[in-house]
Amino acid sequence: MAWIAKPSSTMRVDRRSEPYLTEAMRSELTSKILPRYATKQGALLPALHMVQHEHGWIPAQAMEEIGAFLGLSAAEVLDCASFYEEYWLKPKGRHVVAVCRSIACEFCGHKQITDAVREKLGIEIGETTDDGKWTLIELECLGSCGTAPVALVDETLHENITAEQVRRLIDETRDGSHHH
Amino acid sequence: MPSFAPEKPVLTQRIPTFPWADPKARKVVSYDEYARTGGYAGLRKAISMAPEALVEAVKDSQLRGRGGAGFPTGLKWTFLPKYDGGQRYLAVNADESEPGTFKDRLLMDFDPHLVLEGIAIACYACRLQTAYFYIRGEYHHQARVMENAIREAYDKGVFGGNGLLGGAVTAAGEPWKVDCHLHRGAGAYICGEETALLESLEGKRGWPRNKPPFPAIKGLWGKPTIINNVETMAHLPSIVEHGAEWFKKQGVQSTIGGPPSHGTKLMGVSGHVNRPGVYECELGIPLRQLVDEYCGGMRNGKRYKGAIAGGISTGILGPDQFDAEMDFDIGRKYNVLGLGTACPTVFDEDTDMVGVARNIARFFKHESCGQCTPCREGSQWLFKLLTRIEEGDARTKDLDLTLEIATSMGAMPGTTICGLADGNNWAVRTIMNKYWDEFESRVKPTYIPVTMSVGAGVR
Ligand SMILES: Cc1cc2nc3c(=O)[nH]c(=O)nc-3n(C[C@H](O)[C@H](O)[C@H](O)COP(=O)(O)O)c2cc1C
Ligand code: SF4
Ligand code: FES
Repeated sequence: MAWIAKPSSTMRVDRRSEPYLTEAMRSELTSKILPRYATKQGALLPALHMVQHEHGWIPAQAMEEIGAFLGLSAAEVLDCASFYEEYWLKPKGRHVVAVCRSIACEFCGHKQITDAVREKLGIEIGETTDDGKWTLIELECLGSCGTAPVALVDETLHENITAEQVRRLIDETRDGSHHH
Repeated sequence: MPSFAPEKPVLTQRIPTFPWADPKARKVVSYDEYARTGGYAGLRKAISMAPEALVEAVKDSQLRGRGGAGFPTGLKWTFLPKYDGGQRYLAVNADESEPGTFKDRLLMDFDPHLVLEGIAIACYACRLQTAYFYIRGEYHHQARVMENAIREAYDKGVFGGNGLLGGAVTAAGEPWKVDCHLHRGAGAYICGEETALLESLEGKRGWPRNKPPFPAIKGLWGKPTIINNVETMAHLPSIVEHGAEWFKKQGVQSTIGGPPSHGTKLMGVSGHVNRPGVYECELGIPLRQLVDEYCGGMRNGKRYKGAIAGGISTGILGPDQFDAEMDFDIGRKYNVLGLGTACPTVFDEDTDMVGVARNIARFFKHESCGQCTPCREGSQWLFKLLTRIEEGDARTKDLDLTLEIATSMGAMPGTTICGLADGNNWAVRTIMNKYWDEFESRVKPTYIPVTMSVGAGVR
């Protein structure tokens, strides 16, 4: 997906006065991350991860701030960020169910898992529930083919998952909790 | 003992694994436990040797890279320019995103110090000051385990300040200091390709570079860089500790005059078998034995129909190739791209092979980085055609068109920058060729006989 044209010419930048790249992030980048790389740009992926971890996605203003901090143009940051599927450049739900659709999972029944989530939440792949709580996506191989089918819920991998289990997981996930 | 089981497990010596131990007993091995059970003995021996002697030992072992291409590790190391005191790097490939592959994860999950010890040895042998551990973004848990282990290794003096284990010194008598940093990817299969990985480390999109120059000459930030797989690193401690001759007692010679396949290999079996999972066996085990003796046979008593050899890029072993030996000869002997990651996905008789091809084509369409037209456009076309075939809307000539497109794309036909397109080429082509009847029965004939009445019947 990585080569889809980036929307920089038409993108509207929503602004807020409070920076996304917080003081705490800046000081962690300066003290811990930047010294690891030969160039400031080397810290770009870690910086994007940081902002996303905090805010759930990476707004355009955050990319500008990261660019300014690392000595890159906003376009360079967007160029990189838009390549990687894990970076959300649009808001997502507070929780994400990502069902693996690659070879072992498809042929061990991934469709039942995706369908269970679709029916349970009333959303299609790529959509977010109206209350902003859940987003459903499918991803390629999650490196756990021996326990197919698998799904990643936030940061936790669920192996040999069943339709029943994924439904229960959705019921039991409260806002504010994060799957680590 | 099942066939091709080493006398004692090597890579899984601390990770309970069938047939030696019960996988349920697995837990993360800490630094203390690792050291207590003989860990870091390889590194200790390594730093008592000259770096050049270590490179020779690894060359002698004929260890071949475990990341997919099977390139001889020692030979790769000799491509580095003579050490001139300048900065040079190690990039450890923990991107593990090739569908069907889940073996590096086992090492990261449970025995992180085995990998770190290998990294320290490689850095000393090749005179590399900084190692980056490039781990795929979706490996959240594994990143945390590795981060912890790296912290422990710094605390214990394996990395950082005082030199490797506080002991190694440079020719000038300075401590030989190695740094090791974890770098998380962000969901892009292509970043497993070694030069894309370097771009990603530099904070750019993961676009593979044209080669030459090769990374050993001009790699990360233009400096000499070695890129090796996680499992390759994990082999180094035991090779250094026990020697090349010990390593060469495991595995098999080539039966077709090629280089040998020595050592044990982590084989992650998935699909329609009774006990899917990662097993450690000597290279050369026939797939049938791997499935029957390690995985408890085919699931539900079904018959074997085919298996992806080692990650979808390698293509498929057909119905009559269940006895294929899992070693580096497999490509030439059984018409697949190669051993790949040695992680087979096994299919039973009920599997729709057209669906298998479509799934794989969808993956490559999704993951093409888009730099090369034959890969970017060809992968779209292959997916469209295979979807059409699967849905019964294609004609016979579409089969030829599909094969023609597949065959034209890749670094081997010379039309693309990297090997992603070759994977697409081999997967689609071998599945179609080995299950041709199945594809043919799904399409409509190109020329449909029509009866026409001319003259009186025409209104
Ligand atoms: C498209 C593509 C994806 C790859 N993905 C991986 C990967 O996930 N992990 C890996 O170790 N090697 C991967 N490789 C192979 C690497 O380019 C490289 O050969 C390997 O990491 C070298 O390590 P080794 O010599 O220890 O095997 C990939 C290659 C290509 C062309
Ligand atoms: S072959 Fe495909 S993935 Fe590789 S560089 Fe070209 S377009 Fe990118
Ligand atoms: S195919 Fe789903 S985890 Fe590998």
